[in-house]
Amino acid sequence: MVYLTSWDDFVERSVQLFRASPEKTRYAMKYRHSEGKLILKVTDDKECLKFKTDQAQDAKKMEKLNNIFFTLMARGPETDITEVTGKEQTETHPSRKGRGRKQ
Amino acid sequence: MVRLQLDPFLNELTSMFEHTTEKGSVWVTLKHCKFVLCSFCFPDFEFVALATFVFQDIDCKFVNYSPASDKSKVQRNKMTTAGKELEYKCLVRATDGKKNISTLVGTKDHQRFQASYATILKARMTSLKKREKKDKRKAADADKKQVVSKKRSTTAKP
Repeated sequence: MVYLTSWDDFVERSVQLFRASPEKTRYAMKYRHSEGKLILKVTDDKECLKFKTDQAQDAKKMEKLNNIFFTLMARGPETDITEVTGKEQTETHPSRKGRGRKQ
Repeated sequence: MVRLQLDPFLNELTSMFEHTTEKGSVWVTLKHCKFVLCSFCFPDFEFVALATFVFQDIDCKFVNYSPASDKSKVQRNKMTTAGKELEYKCLVRATDGKKNISTLVGTKDHQRFQASYATILKARMTSLKKREKKDKRKAADADKKQVVSKKRSTTAKP
């Protein structure tokens, strides 16, 4: 079991692991409300990456990782992840333009 | 393992979080699956890891499989051509240590599901610490005040 300290490192390596073996890689999450702990695990049964936290800000980061994994798993391992972050940006821009034009 | 549709799964997941507030854990696992569009039906039959095909009642057409008939040969041909058409799905499993539930999220549903899933997590993961943010803000404000007071003292001297 390898606990990583850097969030960005964890995300990058887990995406690489999934793309290398999409059939075997699974992403598991364990949450204990009584202790206030969140543990994330990404493994392909050969290599294991884990991340442990008790911080609320990491839960927000985990949501982005969830979006990445849902997109990769539901659309295919070769999907471009920048779409996930790109969609968030494109969603905000049109609404601003809309308000400006209406005025 | 109970296979549910998307919305009942989300409801069950919410109740799992409610039941484990004082003790216990919630595990949620995501896994990628390939789904073969075929005309055969195996009720509640699941291949994972080795074959990586998942057959689900609702998505398969219900057809009687009789090996000797011509119809089955046509169906087999359809399967071989249809077998090349792969649909990706995400298998989501959840457990609270006692009860196991699972669901399949397809390409069309994944955005709606991930939005609902994120809402549940935001609402339920409330025991995580938030103090460090406030401490950092207080430290940042204290530093700013020190910088401002130093500037005033340096300007006052000449």
